[in-house]
Amino acid sequence: MATERRKTENTTTGAKDELAQAAARPAAQAAKRTSASEGDGGRLTLENVSARYGAFRAVKDVTLAVRPKSVTALIGPSGCGKSTLIRTINRMHETLPGATVSGSISLDGVDLYSSDVDPVRARRVVGMVFQKPNPFPTMSISENVSSGLRLTGGTSKSEIAGIVEDSLRRAALWDEVKDKLNQPGTSLSGGQQQRLCIARTIAVKPRVVLMDEPCSALDPVATLKIEELIRDLAAEYTIVIVTHNMQQASRVSDETAFFSMDDDRAGYLVETGPTAEMFTNPKQALTEGYIQGRFG
Amino acid sequence: MSMQTGTIAKLLTQPTAGERARQRVNWTMRILVGVAAFLAILPLIALIAFVLLQSAPFLVPSFFFNNPLDTSPGILNAIVGSLQLTGLTVLISGPIGIAGGVYLSEFASPRVVAIGETAIDVMLGVPSIVAGVFAYLILVPVLGFSGWAAVAALSILTLPIMMRSTQEVLRLVPQAIREASLALGVPVWKTALFVSVRTALPGILTGVILAFSRALGETAPLLMTARGTNAENWLDFSTTMNAMPIVIYQYSAAADDLLIGQAWATALVLMAIALTINVLVRGRTVNSRTA
Amino acid sequence: MAGLELRRTGGLSADSLFRRITGTGLLVLGVALVGLIVAFVGYSNPLWAIQSPIDFLTSATWSTGTIDENGQVVDALYGALGALFGTAATSLIAVLFAAPIGILAAIYLVEFAPPRVSAPLTFIVELIAAIPSVVFGLWAAGDLSNRLRDTIEWWIASSFGRFIPFLSEDPESPAADSVFRAGFLLAIMILPMVVAVSREFIRSVPISLREGYIGMGATKWEVIRDVILPTARIGLIGGVLLALGRAIGETVAVTMVIGNAEGVPSSLFQPGQTVASKIASNIAEASGEIAIGSMAALGLSLFLLTTMISLAVRVLIRRFAFTGGRA
Repeated sequence: MATERRKTENTTTGAKDELAQAAARPAAQAAKRTSASEGDGGRLTLENVSARYGAFRAVKDVTLAVRPKSVTALIGPSGCGKSTLIRTINRMHETLPGATVSGSISLDGVDLYSSDVDPVRARRVVGMVFQKPNPFPTMSISENVSSGLRLTGGTSKSEIAGIVEDSLRRAALWDEVKDKLNQPGTSLSGGQQQRLCIARTIAVKPRVVLMDEPCSALDPVATLKIEELIRDLAAEYTIVIVTHNMQQASRVSDETAFFSMDDDRAGYLVETGPTAEMFTNPKQALTEGYIQGRFG
Repeated sequence: MSMQTGTIAKLLTQPTAGERARQRVNWTMRILVGVAAFLAILPLIALIAFVLLQSAPFLVPSFFFNNPLDTSPGILNAIVGSLQLTGLTVLISGPIGIAGGVYLSEFASPRVVAIGETAIDVMLGVPSIVAGVFAYLILVPVLGFSGWAAVAALSILTLPIMMRSTQEVLRLVPQAIREASLALGVPVWKTALFVSVRTALPGILTGVILAFSRALGETAPLLMTARGTNAENWLDFSTTMNAMPIVIYQYSAAADDLLIGQAWATALVLMAIALTINVLVRGRTVNSRTA
Repeated sequence: MAGLELRRTGGLSADSLFRRITGTGLLVLGVALVGLIVAFVGYSNPLWAIQSPIDFLTSATWSTGTIDENGQVVDALYGALGALFGTAATSLIAVLFAAPIGILAAIYLVEFAPPRVSAPLTFIVELIAAIPSVVFGLWAAGDLSNRLRDTIEWWIASSFGRFIPFLSEDPESPAADSVFRAGFLLAIMILPMVVAVSREFIRSVPISLREGYIGMGATKWEVIRDVILPTARIGLIGGVLLALGRAIGETVAVTMVIGNAEGVPSSLFQPGQTVASKIASNIAEASGEIAIGSMAALGLSLFLLTTMISLAVRVLIRRFAFTGGRA
């Protein structure tokens, strides 16, 4: 079924039709993968995580359990620390001067912040896709995809070529670029560049893929393709996606976590639960207010 | 796709040989770049220290207030000459350079801007000795070895500097305020002068001061035009004039220790003036530049 | 792009008058440039009448000749090869040292230095550019030159001098001035320029690219090596070229350290000359059309060299501005 849809992209169906098709799809369809197998790797556990920029606490006391091989959406108004939070998961937050993290974050039982864990290694296992597509301009398409593999070495040239093709296929980009693998990564459209970034992230076989508003710089058609991609990827990876777009969260995720800002300007977790429930019957009044568009 | 369960701990906590090598390279390069930065400032420290050391015995008041042929020799005419020559240079090339920069920024069509910028690039690259030879060939036969010829040579060097710095500072003036002025019915030339230039004025002045500092240290053009002299010279540009760089250059090759020592002392004075100007003018923007 | 709308109102309105006045400034620059070219070509002409430019460029003999019984100058041969070699050698030595150290230092300043250290340190490096070259020359002649002779020159000569005569020196009497020392001094003088330009281009690499590579598990050095340096490459080359142009034109400091010896030196550790130092040393005694012509010819060579470099840098930077910002 997914292949059918991919074919439709390339033929005569216009953008308007695609969007209409998407609107007709029931929102709960996205959540049907709740039967994803657990215990297979990729369980993320956050306990009392706080993140600071110097003295300012941007995120406070977040406790969250992310199920393996599922999509968890972090939603909430701007400034609630959602992006800051996911950057603590792949240890990017600490690269800023004066930035600190407290609490514990573990992946399948391993504390990501323990002293035996090199942040460099942690970032191999937890990948990230950024808001603005950022392919490396001095590398070709295939070099972009293989960039992570070539860093660690140990993979032969033929293996690399195979992984590049495999990753591009999984990212639904192979057909569009297979004839121009040597062109620079920046020669693609915005949506294609973002899929390229996804391809290179999964090429190193992470357990978790973090996505920080991956579609906010893209047009609706490109956004649609990436949302489909996310649903497909959830079969293999644990995905945590930050999004400002509630409808996107309801389309794409299995679980949703809603954040808000407290009086001290720190972001905190208000409530979390299966997506369908969160959007139809949230427990907190604040959550309901946000979902109904009364603020944010 | 197989994800080896249970190996996540190993993946995260046990570095492979390859990884350790990468970390070693990382640390080595960290050290290397730090060393490079240290090497970059080392010469400055060595130079200042050495100049201070060599010039200390000569820094007596008579050094500053006497002329070379006095019983207790000094470099007064050189200090005066330097200030006069550089001052006149800036006075002449400043307005011309600023005017040209204003034209390029406010009025010129894109094609003229391209040609103008190329011309400025070329002129900026002209070595000071070429400017000196030019003055020697063209002006000295007419004006003799004189302050005028020296000022002309120095102006060739400072003109493009001032044009470029004026243009760049004007470029930073937001287009929005020009438009606001024009929308109010202010004529174009008044907008250029009282809005654009006025806003950019601190930067333009900085450019002028820095050009002054540059010109103060130029030696080669002066050697061929103003030539240096032992006589006092107050504002007589029609004949040879003395200047600090000339003194340094000429005395450095002397056999007399007294003269060599004076060269060091003059070097200290010249360097002190140049560094002070630069620190005062550019030091204030150091912190805002990190943005 | 013009900052203000051009509206031709015809006649001598205040606007058009102002335009003309400021335009004159640019015109003066243009006249100066043209004047330079015309003067150098014109004054060097008499030289080309008696000898070909090929001889000028390829002969190492520089002789003003003698005056025969008819009062004519004979046997004059103005071969600038020694000077051209010296310019090339000193500039290349300068770039050889300044480029890697300058780029690495710029990397440190942008990527590794703590924020409160970065700005003052950058400022100090750029202060070096404010020191007049004659002061550099004096310091080099009095201090640096001897230090170099006793350390680096000695080390290179004793290690390689036997195999490469070019790098040899007589251990009994090392020269008082040398081409190498002039080159090394130039390296110190052009370093701030390399650092400043490199710093700008390294900073201009977007943070998103850095984050992208770090997110994939790269070490800081790997981000620099695989992302930052390739992306900034064209600008870095431009900066080195700019510094090269400066080294080629530097006169006073070089003259004070290079020793002013004719011809092509047998070793880098022997005295030599550059085109610039030759002009500085000889112009006072040059008299007569031809001798002056030789000085003009030297000046013309310098002017052509530096102009070519300025134009090359301009082309490079322009191309970089179009392609570098694509990410």
